[in-house]
Amino acid sequence: MIRLHQVSKRFGDSEAVKPVSLTVKQGEIYGVIGASGAGKSTLLRLMNVLEMPDQGRVEVNGQDLTSLKGRKLRDARKSIGMIFQHFNLVANKTVYDNIAVSLQLAGYPGKERRKRVIECLQFVGLESYISKYPAQLSGGQKQRVAIARALANHPDVLLCDEPTSSLDPNTTAEVLRVLEDINKRLGVTIVIVSHQMGVIKSLCNTVTVMADGGIYETISQKPAGVRDVDHNPQYFVDQLVQDGETGP
Amino acid sequence: MMPEILLQYEAEIWRSIGETFIMVGVAILAAILVGLPVGTLLYLCRKGHLLENKAVFSTVNLLVNTIRSFPFLLLVVFLIPFTRLIIGTAIGTAAATVPMAIIAIAHYSRLVEQSLLDVPKGIIEAAVSMGASVREVVFRFLYVESRSGLVLGLTTSTISFVSYSTIMGVVGGGGIGDFAIRYGYQQFQTELMMYMIVVMVILVQFIQFTGTTVSRMIDKR
Ligand SMILES: Nc1ncnc2c1ncn2[C@@H]1O[C@H](COP(=O)(O)OP(=O)(O)O)[C@@H](O)[C@H]1O
Ligand SMILES: [Mg+2]
Repeated sequence: MIRLHQVSKRFGDSEAVKPVSLTVKQGEIYGVIGASGAGKSTLLRLMNVLEMPDQGRVEVNGQDLTSLKGRKLRDARKSIGMIFQHFNLVANKTVYDNIAVSLQLAGYPGKERRKRVIECLQFVGLESYISKYPAQLSGGQKQRVAIARALANHPDVLLCDEPTSSLDPNTTAEVLRVLEDINKRLGVTIVIVSHQMGVIKSLCNTVTVMADGGIYETISQKPAGVRDVDHNPQYFVDQLVQDGETGP
Repeated sequence: MMPEILLQYEAEIWRSIGETFIMVGVAILAAILVGLPVGTLLYLCRKGHLLENKAVFSTVNLLVNTIRSFPFLLLVVFLIPFTRLIIGTAIGTAAATVPMAIIAIAHYSRLVEQSLLDVPKGIIEAAVSMGASVREVVFRFLYVESRSGLVLGLTTSTISFVSYSTIMGVVGGGGIGDFAIRYGYQQFQTELMMYMIVVMVILVQFIQFTGTTVSRMIDKR
Protein backbone atom coordinates (compact mmCIF):
# COMPACT_ATOMS: atom_id res chain seq x y z
CA MET A 1 0.00 0.00 0.00
CA ILE A 2 2.83 2.36 0.92
CA ARG A 3 6.35 1.90 -0.34
CA LEU A 4 9.27 4.12 0.50
CA HIS A 5 12.34 3.59 -1.70
CA GLN A 6 15.51 5.06 -0.23
CA VAL A 7 13.82 8.29 0.82
CA SER A 8 15.79 10.88 2.74
CA LYS A 9 15.19 14.37 4.07
CA ARG A 10 17.57 17.01 5.39
CA PHE A 11 16.80 20.24 7.21
CA GLY A 12 19.82 22.46 6.79
CA ASP A 13 22.79 20.56 8.14
CA SER A 14 20.89 17.85 9.96
CA GLU A 15 19.66 14.71 8.28
CA ALA A 16 16.16 14.18 9.72
CA VAL A 17 15.61 10.96 7.75
CA LYS A 18 18.52 9.00 6.31
CA PRO A 19 17.85 6.93 3.19
CA VAL A 20 15.01 4.65 4.33
CA SER A 21 13.08 1.91 2.55
CA LEU A 22 9.98 0.28 3.94
CA THR A 23 6.71 -1.29 2.87
CA VAL A 24 3.35 -0.95 4.59
CA LYS A 25 1.03 -3.76 3.54
CA GLN A 26 -2.60 -3.30 2.59
CA GLY A 27 -4.88 -3.56 5.61
CA GLU A 28 -2.24 -3.63 8.34
CA ILE A 29 -1.56 -1.30 11.24
CA TYR A 30 2.05 -0.23 10.98
CA GLY A 31 3.77 1.37 13.95
CA VAL A 32 6.81 3.62 14.10
CA ILE A 33 8.38 4.13 17.50
CA GLY A 34 11.54 5.86 18.68
CA ALA A 35 12.94 8.62 20.84
CA SER A 36 11.94 12.23 20.36
CA GLY A 37 13.85 13.71 17.43
CA ALA A 38 14.44 10.29 15.84
CA GLY A 39 12.70 11.43 12.66
CA LYS A 40 9.34 9.67 13.11
CA SER A 41 7.14 12.63 12.23
CA THR A 42 9.28 13.52 9.25
CA LEU A 43 9.06 9.94 8.00
CA LEU A 44 5.26 10.05 8.31
CA ARG A 45 5.06 13.41 6.54
CA LEU A 46 7.10 11.96 3.70
CA MET A 47 4.33 9.40 3.17
CA ASN A 48 1.88 12.06 1.92
CA VAL A 49 4.73 14.29 0.78
CA LEU A 50 3.89 17.07 3.19
CA GLU A 51 7.68 17.00 3.13
CA MET A 52 9.06 16.46 -0.34
CA PRO A 53 11.95 13.97 -0.01
CA ASP A 54 15.39 15.12 -1.12
CA GLN A 55 15.92 11.72 -2.68
CA GLY A 56 14.01 8.50 -3.20
CA ARG A 57 10.47 7.58 -4.17
CA VAL A 58 7.22 7.51 -2.25
CA GLU A 59 4.59 5.19 -3.63
CA VAL A 60 1.07 5.05 -2.20
CA ASN A 61 -1.57 2.78 -3.68
CA GLY A 62 0.56 2.18 -6.75
CA GLN A 63 1.03 5.89 -7.43
CA ASP A 64 4.41 7.58 -7.30
CA LEU A 65 3.67 10.71 -5.24
CA THR A 66 7.13 12.19 -5.70
CA SER A 67 6.47 12.62 -9.41
CA LEU A 68 3.17 14.45 -8.89
CA LYS A 69 2.67 18.19 -8.75
CA GLY A 70 -0.12 20.70 -8.22
CA ARG A 71 -3.61 19.40 -8.73
CA LYS A 72 -2.60 15.74 -9.18
CA LEU A 73 -0.70 15.77 -5.90
CA ARG A 74 -3.61 17.42 -4.09
CA ASP A 75 -5.99 14.81 -5.49
CA ALA A 76 -3.71 12.00 -4.33
CA ARG A 77 -3.66 13.48 -0.82
CA LYS A 78 -7.45 13.35 -0.69
CA SER A 79 -7.32 9.57 -0.37
CA ILE A 80 -4.74 9.73 2.44
CA GLY A 81 -6.21 10.78 5.79
CA MET A 82 -4.01 12.31 8.48
CA ILE A 83 -4.45 13.05 12.18
CA PHE A 84 -2.13 14.93 14.52
CA GLN A 85 -1.07 15.16 18.14
CA HIS A 86 -2.75 18.52 18.55
CA PHE A 87 -5.84 17.61 16.49
CA ASN A 88 -5.54 20.69 14.27
CA LEU A 89 -9.27 21.34 14.06
CA VAL A 90 -10.45 24.76 12.93
CA ALA A 91 -11.63 26.33 16.19
CA ASN A 92 -14.00 28.74 14.44
CA LYS A 93 -15.82 25.95 12.62
CA THR A 94 -18.41 23.67 14.17
CA VAL A 95 -17.81 19.94 14.30
CA TYR A 96 -20.04 19.65 11.24
CA ASP A 97 -18.08 22.26 9.26
CA ASN A 98 -14.73 20.81 10.26
CA ILE A 99 -15.71 17.53 8.65
CA ALA A 100 -17.71 19.01 5.77
CA VAL A 101 -14.75 21.09 4.59
CA SER A 102 -12.82 17.95 3.76
CA LEU A 103 -15.76 16.79 1.62
CA GLN A 104 -16.00 20.19 -0.07
CA LEU A 105 -12.32 20.07 -0.94
CA ALA A 106 -12.84 16.65 -2.50
CA GLY A 107 -15.77 17.91 -4.56
CA TYR A 108 -18.24 15.66 -2.74
CA PRO A 109 -21.78 16.43 -3.98
CA GLY A 110 -23.41 19.06 -1.77
CA LYS A 111 -26.63 17.15 -1.11
CA GLU A 112 -24.89 14.05 0.20
CA ARG A 113 -22.44 15.91 2.42
CA ARG A 114 -24.62 16.13 5.49
CA LYS A 115 -25.41 12.44 5.36
CA ARG A 116 -21.75 11.53 5.07
CA VAL A 117 -20.75 13.85 7.93
CA ILE A 118 -23.37 12.22 10.17
CA GLU A 119 -22.18 8.75 9.15
CA CYS A 120 -18.62 9.62 10.11
CA LEU A 121 -19.69 11.16 13.39
CA GLN A 122 -21.71 8.06 14.22
CA PHE A 123 -18.64 5.98 13.54
CA VAL A 124 -16.66 7.88 16.17
CA GLY A 125 -19.68 8.09 18.49
CA LEU A 126 -20.12 11.86 18.44
CA GLU A 127 -23.25 12.48 16.37
CA SER A 128 -24.82 14.52 19.16
CA TYR A 129 -21.90 16.99 19.06
CA ILE A 130 -22.48 18.00 15.45
CA SER A 131 -23.11 21.70 16.12
CA LYS A 132 -20.57 22.17 18.93
CA TYR A 133 -17.30 24.05 18.50
CA PRO A 134 -13.97 22.32 19.24
CA ALA A 135 -13.47 24.47 22.36
CA GLN A 136 -16.50 22.74 23.86
CA LEU A 137 -14.99 19.25 23.48
CA SER A 138 -12.52 17.22 25.53
CA GLY A 139 -9.18 16.19 24.03
CA GLY A 140 -10.39 12.69 23.22
CA GLN A 141 -13.52 14.05 21.55
CA LYS A 142 -11.46 16.50 19.49
CA GLN A 143 -9.28 13.66 18.27
CA ARG A 144 -12.35 11.62 17.36
CA VAL A 145 -13.69 14.56 15.34
CA ALA A 146 -10.30 14.78 13.63
CA ILE A 147 -10.57 11.08 12.85
CA ALA A 148 -14.07 11.59 11.44
CA ARG A 149 -12.68 14.39 9.28
CA ALA A 150 -9.88 12.18 8.04
CA LEU A 151 -12.32 9.35 7.26
CA ALA A 152 -14.95 11.43 5.51
CA ASN A 153 -13.48 11.09 2.07
CA HIS A 154 -13.09 7.26 2.20
CA PRO A 155 -9.29 7.22 2.43
CA ASP A 156 -7.25 4.07 1.73
CA VAL A 157 -4.67 5.06 4.30
CA LEU A 158 -4.76 6.89 7.62
CA LEU A 159 -1.54 8.49 8.88
CA CYS A 160 -1.45 9.19 12.62
CA ASP A 161 1.23 11.39 14.19
CA GLU A 162 1.27 10.85 17.97
CA PRO A 163 -2.54 10.51 18.00
CA THR A 164 -2.79 9.96 21.75
CA SER A 165 0.25 11.78 23.08
CA SER A 166 -1.70 14.68 24.54
CA LEU A 167 -4.51 12.52 25.98
CA ASP A 168 -4.98 10.88 29.36
CA PRO A 169 -5.12 7.05 29.65
CA ASN A 170 -8.92 6.82 29.48
CA THR A 171 -9.32 8.91 26.37
CA THR A 172 -6.28 7.23 24.86
CA ALA A 173 -8.10 3.90 25.02
CA GLU A 174 -11.20 5.51 23.52
CA VAL A 175 -9.23 6.86 20.54
CA LEU A 176 -7.26 3.63 20.05
CA ARG A 177 -10.47 1.64 19.96
CA VAL A 178 -11.77 3.89 17.19
CA LEU A 179 -8.55 3.38 15.21
CA GLU A 180 -8.80 -0.38 15.67
CA ASP A 181 -12.39 -0.23 14.43
CA ILE A 182 -11.46 1.76 11.35
CA ASN A 183 -8.88 -0.83 10.45
CA LYS A 184 -11.10 -3.88 11.14
CA ARG A 185 -14.44 -2.66 9.85
CA LEU A 186 -13.43 -0.29 7.08
CA GLY A 187 -10.22 -2.03 6.05
CA VAL A 188 -8.23 1.21 6.14
CA THR A 189 -4.45 0.77 6.30
CA ILE A 190 -3.06 2.71 9.26
CA VAL A 191 0.38 4.05 10.07
CA ILE A 192 0.87 5.19 13.66
CA VAL A 193 3.85 7.17 14.84
CA SER A 194 4.20 7.26 18.60
CA HIS A 195 6.74 7.31 21.38
CA GLN A 196 4.24 5.47 23.61
CA MET A 197 5.06 1.76 23.76
CA GLY A 198 1.56 0.86 25.00
CA VAL A 199 -0.06 2.37 21.92
CA ILE A 200 2.24 0.54 19.52
CA LYS A 201 1.91 -2.79 21.32
CA SER A 202 -1.85 -2.71 21.46
CA LEU A 203 -2.53 -2.03 17.77
CA CYS A 204 0.35 -2.76 15.42
CA ASN A 205 1.16 -5.79 13.26
CA THR A 206 4.48 -4.42 12.15
CA VAL A 207 6.67 -2.03 14.11
CA THR A 208 9.68 -0.09 12.95
CA VAL A 209 12.04 1.25 15.59
CA MET A 210 13.71 4.46 14.47
CA ALA A 211 16.91 6.01 15.78
CA ASP A 212 18.87 9.00 14.47
CA GLY A 213 16.80 9.27 11.30
CA GLY A 214 17.29 5.65 10.28
CA ILE A 215 15.52 2.33 10.78
CA TYR A 216 17.04 0.49 13.73
CA GLU A 217 14.91 -2.61 13.40
CA THR A 218 11.53 -3.77 12.08
CA ILE A 219 9.55 -6.36 14.01
CA SER A 220 6.36 -8.29 13.34
CA GLN A 221 4.07 -8.81 16.31
CA LYS A 222 0.61 -9.82 17.30
CA PRO A 223 -1.29 -6.74 18.45
CA ALA A 224 -2.24 -7.01 22.12
CA GLY A 225 -5.58 -5.25 21.64
CA VAL A 226 -6.77 -2.13 23.38
CA ARG A 227 -6.68 -2.61 27.11
CA ASP A 228 -9.68 -1.47 29.09
CA VAL A 229 -8.73 1.35 31.36
CA ASP A 230 -10.59 1.53 34.61
CA HIS A 231 -12.21 4.85 35.39
CA ASN A 232 -12.02 3.76 39.02
CA PRO A 233 -9.62 5.81 41.18
CA GLN A 234 -8.35 2.52 42.58
CA TYR A 235 -6.82 1.86 39.13
CA PHE A 236 -4.49 4.81 39.56
CA VAL A 237 -3.63 3.69 43.11
CA ASP A 238 -2.84 0.14 41.91
CA GLN A 239 -0.62 1.50 39.16
CA LEU A 240 1.21 3.68 41.66
CA VAL A 241 1.71 0.86 44.14
CA GLN A 242 2.98 -1.45 41.40
CA ASP A 243 5.48 1.14 40.27
CA GLY A 244 6.47 1.77 43.89
CA GLU A 245 7.26 -1.90 44.48
CA THR A 246 9.41 -2.26 41.41
CA GLY A 247 11.07 1.15 41.92
CA PRO A 248 14.41 1.76 43.61
CA MET B 1 -31.04 72.35 23.15
CA MET B 2 -28.14 72.67 20.75
CA PRO B 3 -25.55 75.23 21.84
CA GLU B 4 -25.88 78.35 19.71
CA ILE B 5 -22.43 78.11 18.22
CA LEU B 6 -23.20 74.67 16.78
CA LEU B 7 -26.42 75.97 15.22
CA GLN B 8 -24.51 78.85 13.73
CA TYR B 9 -22.10 76.51 11.95
CA GLU B 10 -24.51 73.61 11.46
CA ALA B 11 -24.15 73.34 7.68
CA GLU B 12 -20.34 73.42 7.78
CA ILE B 13 -20.25 70.88 10.58
CA TRP B 14 -22.41 68.42 8.70
CA ARG B 15 -20.35 68.94 5.59
CA SER B 16 -17.09 68.31 7.43
CA ILE B 17 -18.51 65.17 9.08
CA GLY B 18 -19.50 64.00 5.58
CA GLU B 19 -15.95 64.66 4.33
CA THR B 20 -14.47 62.67 7.19
CA PHE B 21 -16.78 59.78 6.38
CA ILE B 22 -15.77 59.86 2.71
CA MET B 23 -12.04 59.89 3.50
CA VAL B 24 -12.27 57.21 6.18
CA GLY B 25 -14.73 55.17 4.10
CA VAL B 26 -12.43 55.08 1.09
CA ALA B 27 -9.54 54.16 3.38
CA ILE B 28 -11.54 51.24 4.83
CA LEU B 29 -12.46 50.04 1.34
CA ALA B 30 -8.83 50.23 0.22
CA ALA B 31 -7.76 48.39 3.37
CA ILE B 32 -10.17 45.52 2.70
CA LEU B 33 -9.87 45.33 -1.08
CA VAL B 34 -6.09 45.78 -1.32
CA GLY B 35 -4.63 45.68 2.20
CA LEU B 36 -6.11 42.26 2.95
CA PRO B 37 -4.66 40.61 -0.18
CA VAL B 38 -1.30 42.36 0.32
CA GLY B 39 -1.15 41.23 3.96
CA THR B 40 -2.05 37.71 2.88
CA LEU B 41 0.70 37.80 0.27
CA LEU B 42 3.21 38.93 2.91
CA TYR B 43 2.14 36.02 5.11
CA LEU B 44 2.23 33.42 2.33
CA CYS B 45 5.63 34.51 0.98
CA ARG B 46 7.30 34.46 4.39
CA LYS B 47 9.99 31.89 5.10
CA GLY B 48 8.49 28.51 5.89
CA HIS B 49 5.04 29.37 4.51
CA LEU B 50 3.06 28.08 1.55
CA LEU B 51 4.41 30.38 -1.18
CA GLU B 52 7.81 31.08 0.37
CA ASN B 53 9.44 33.63 -1.91
CA LYS B 54 12.20 35.82 -0.61
CA ALA B 55 12.20 38.32 -3.48
CA VAL B 56 8.46 39.03 -3.32
CA PHE B 57 8.44 39.11 0.47
CA SER B 58 11.38 41.52 0.74
CA THR B 59 10.03 43.86 -1.92
CA VAL B 60 6.49 44.09 -0.51
CA ASN B 61 7.82 44.24 3.03
CA LEU B 62 10.14 47.14 2.17
CA LEU B 63 7.36 48.99 0.38
CA VAL B 64 4.96 48.64 3.32
CA ASN B 65 7.64 49.72 5.79
CA THR B 66 8.63 52.70 3.68
CA ILE B 67 5.08 53.98 3.38
CA ARG B 68 4.48 53.50 7.08
CA SER B 69 7.70 55.27 8.10
CA PHE B 70 6.81 58.49 6.24
CA PRO B 71 5.39 61.14 8.55
CA PHE B 72 1.88 61.22 7.11
CA LEU B 73 1.95 64.93 6.30
CA LEU B 74 5.06 64.39 4.16
CA LEU B 75 3.48 61.38 2.48
CA VAL B 76 0.52 63.53 1.46
CA VAL B 77 2.82 66.16 -0.04
CA PHE B 78 5.05 63.56 -1.63
CA LEU B 79 2.04 61.92 -3.32
CA ILE B 80 0.70 65.16 -4.86
CA PRO B 81 1.98 64.42 -8.40
CA PHE B 82 0.58 60.89 -8.24
CA THR B 83 -2.77 62.17 -6.95
CA ARG B 84 -2.95 64.71 -9.73
CA LEU B 85 -2.25 61.94 -12.21
CA ILE B 86 -5.15 59.74 -11.15
CA ILE B 87 -7.75 62.23 -9.84
CA GLY B 88 -6.88 65.15 -12.11
CA THR B 89 -6.39 67.53 -9.20
CA ALA B 90 -4.41 67.43 -5.96
CA ILE B 91 -6.89 69.58 -4.04
CA GLY B 92 -10.20 68.60 -2.42
CA THR B 93 -11.84 65.67 -0.69
CA ALA B 94 -11.57 63.33 -3.68
CA ALA B 95 -7.86 64.06 -3.98
CA ALA B 96 -7.43 63.51 -0.25
CA THR B 97 -8.69 59.94 -0.59
CA VAL B 98 -5.57 58.95 -2.52
CA PRO B 99 -2.99 59.31 0.29
CA MET B 100 -5.64 57.96 2.68
CA ALA B 101 -6.00 54.82 0.55
CA ILE B 102 -2.23 54.37 0.28
CA ILE B 103 -1.60 54.61 4.01
CA ALA B 104 -4.65 52.41 4.66
CA ILE B 105 -3.26 49.61 2.51
CA ALA B 106 0.16 49.75 4.18
CA HIS B 107 -1.34 50.00 7.68
CA TYR B 108 -3.89 47.22 7.42
CA SER B 109 -1.74 44.80 5.41
CA ARG B 110 0.73 44.70 8.30
CA LEU B 111 -2.04 43.94 10.80
CA VAL B 112 -3.45 41.26 8.49
CA GLU B 113 -0.04 39.62 8.30
CA GLN B 114 0.18 39.63 12.12
CA SER B 115 -3.29 38.09 12.52
CA LEU B 116 -2.54 35.35 10.02
CA LEU B 117 0.72 34.54 11.79
CA ASP B 118 -1.34 33.79 14.90
CA VAL B 119 -3.11 30.90 13.18
CA PRO B 120 -1.53 27.64 14.44
CA LYS B 121 0.62 26.10 11.71
CA GLY B 122 -0.95 22.72 12.39
CA ILE B 123 -4.22 23.94 10.90
CA ILE B 124 -2.49 24.84 7.65
CA GLU B 125 -0.79 21.47 7.69
CA ALA B 126 -4.12 19.68 8.18
CA ALA B 127 -5.59 21.67 5.29
CA VAL B 128 -2.72 20.78 2.98
CA SER B 129 -2.95 17.13 4.01
CA MET B 130 -6.61 17.20 2.94
CA GLY B 131 -5.53 18.33 -0.51
CA ALA B 132 -6.46 22.02 -0.21
CA SER B 133 -4.96 24.41 -2.76
CA VAL B 134 -3.37 27.65 -1.58
CA ARG B 135 -6.56 29.53 -2.41
CA GLU B 136 -8.63 27.03 -0.43
CA VAL B 137 -6.24 27.20 2.50
CA VAL B 138 -6.61 30.98 2.56
CA PHE B 139 -10.38 31.20 2.26
CA ARG B 140 -11.54 28.07 4.05
CA PHE B 141 -8.96 27.89 6.83
CA LEU B 142 -6.78 30.98 7.33
CA TYR B 143 -9.46 33.65 7.14
CA VAL B 144 -11.92 31.55 9.13
CA GLU B 145 -9.48 30.97 11.96
CA SER B 146 -8.11 34.52 12.05
CA ARG B 147 -11.39 36.37 11.51
CA SER B 148 -11.61 37.96 14.96
CA GLY B 149 -8.04 39.24 14.64
CA LEU B 150 -8.79 40.57 11.17
CA VAL B 151 -11.79 42.49 12.54
CA LEU B 152 -9.83 43.87 15.50
CA GLY B 153 -7.04 44.89 13.14
CA LEU B 154 -9.50 46.69 10.89
CA THR B 155 -10.89 48.45 13.96
CA THR B 156 -7.43 49.65 14.99
CA SER B 157 -6.72 50.71 11.41
CA THR B 158 -10.02 52.59 11.10
CA ILE B 159 -9.25 54.59 14.23
CA SER B 160 -5.86 55.49 12.76
CA PHE B 161 -7.61 56.53 9.54
CA VAL B 162 -9.82 58.91 11.53
CA SER B 163 -6.68 60.42 12.98
CA TYR B 164 -4.91 60.61 9.60
CA SER B 165 -7.98 62.29 8.10
CA THR B 166 -7.63 65.24 10.47
CA ILE B 167 -4.61 66.62 8.65
CA MET B 168 -6.10 66.42 5.18
CA GLY B 169 -6.88 70.12 5.43
CA VAL B 170 -3.42 70.73 3.94
CA VAL B 171 -4.71 69.60 0.56
CA GLY B 172 -8.20 70.99 1.03
CA GLY B 173 -9.64 67.62 1.98
CA GLY B 174 -11.75 69.11 4.76
CA GLY B 175 -13.16 66.89 7.48
CA ILE B 176 -13.93 67.36 11.16
CA GLY B 177 -10.28 67.85 12.15
CA ASP B 178 -9.76 70.54 9.55
CA PHE B 179 -12.96 72.27 10.64
CA ALA B 180 -11.84 72.22 14.27
CA ILE B 181 -8.53 73.78 13.35
CA ARG B 182 -9.79 76.44 10.97
CA TYR B 183 -12.91 77.60 12.79
CA GLY B 184 -12.04 76.57 16.31
CA TYR B 185 -8.30 77.02 16.75
CA GLN B 186 -7.38 79.64 14.18
CA GLN B 187 -10.41 81.82 14.90
CA PHE B 188 -10.02 81.45 18.67
CA GLN B 189 -13.39 79.73 19.10
CA THR B 190 -12.16 77.31 21.74
CA GLU B 191 -15.69 76.16 22.55
CA LEU B 192 -16.30 75.14 18.94
CA MET B 193 -12.99 73.28 18.88
CA MET B 194 -13.93 71.39 22.03
CA TYR B 195 -17.25 70.33 20.53
CA MET B 196 -15.45 68.98 17.48
CA ILE B 197 -13.06 67.05 19.69
CA VAL B 198 -16.08 65.54 21.44
CA VAL B 199 -17.48 64.47 18.06
CA MET B 200 -14.17 62.74 17.26
CA VAL B 201 -14.08 61.01 20.63
CA ILE B 202 -17.62 59.71 20.19
CA LEU B 203 -16.79 58.49 16.69
CA VAL B 204 -13.71 56.64 17.86
CA GLN B 205 -15.54 55.11 20.85
CA PHE B 206 -18.27 53.91 18.53
CA ILE B 207 -15.79 52.32 16.11
CA GLN B 208 -13.92 50.58 18.91
CA PHE B 209 -17.10 49.33 20.56
CA THR B 210 -18.47 47.96 17.30
CA GLY B 211 -15.17 46.30 16.39
CA THR B 212 -14.69 44.69 19.79
CA THR B 213 -18.28 43.43 19.89
CA VAL B 214 -18.19 41.93 16.40
CA SER B 215 -14.81 40.32 16.94
CA ARG B 216 -16.00 38.74 20.19
CA MET B 217 -19.17 37.44 18.56
CA ILE B 218 -17.34 35.64 15.77
CA ASP B 219 -14.58 34.21 17.95
CA LYS B 220 -15.30 30.59 18.89
CA ARG B 221 -11.77 29.68 19.92
N1 LIG C 1 10.60 21.75 9.56
C1 LIG C 1 11.76 21.45 10.14
N2 LIG C 1 12.80 22.30 10.04
C2 LIG C 1 14.01 22.01 10.60
N3 LIG C 1 14.26 20.90 11.28
C3 LIG C 1 13.27 20.01 11.42
C4 LIG C 1 11.97 20.24 10.87
N4 LIG C 1 11.17 19.17 11.16
C5 LIG C 1 11.95 18.32 11.88
N5 LIG C 1 13.20 18.81 12.02
C6 LIG C 1 14.32 18.14 12.72
O1 LIG C 1 14.39 16.83 12.25
C7 LIG C 1 14.64 15.92 13.29
C8 LIG C 1 13.55 14.87 13.36
O2 LIG C 1 12.34 15.47 13.77
P1 LIG C 1 10.96 14.72 13.87
O3 LIG C 1 10.72 13.99 12.62
O4 LIG C 1 9.94 15.69 14.30
O5 LIG C 1 11.25 13.68 15.04
P2 LIG C 1 10.25 12.90 15.99
O6 LIG C 1 8.88 13.00 15.42
O7 LIG C 1 10.79 11.51 16.01
O8 LIG C 1 10.36 13.53 17.34
C9 LIG C 1 14.75 16.73 14.56
O9 LIG C 1 16.12 16.95 14.83
C10 LIG C 1 14.07 18.01 14.21
O10 LIG C 1 14.62 19.09 14.92
MG1 LIG D 1 7.11 13.81 16.23
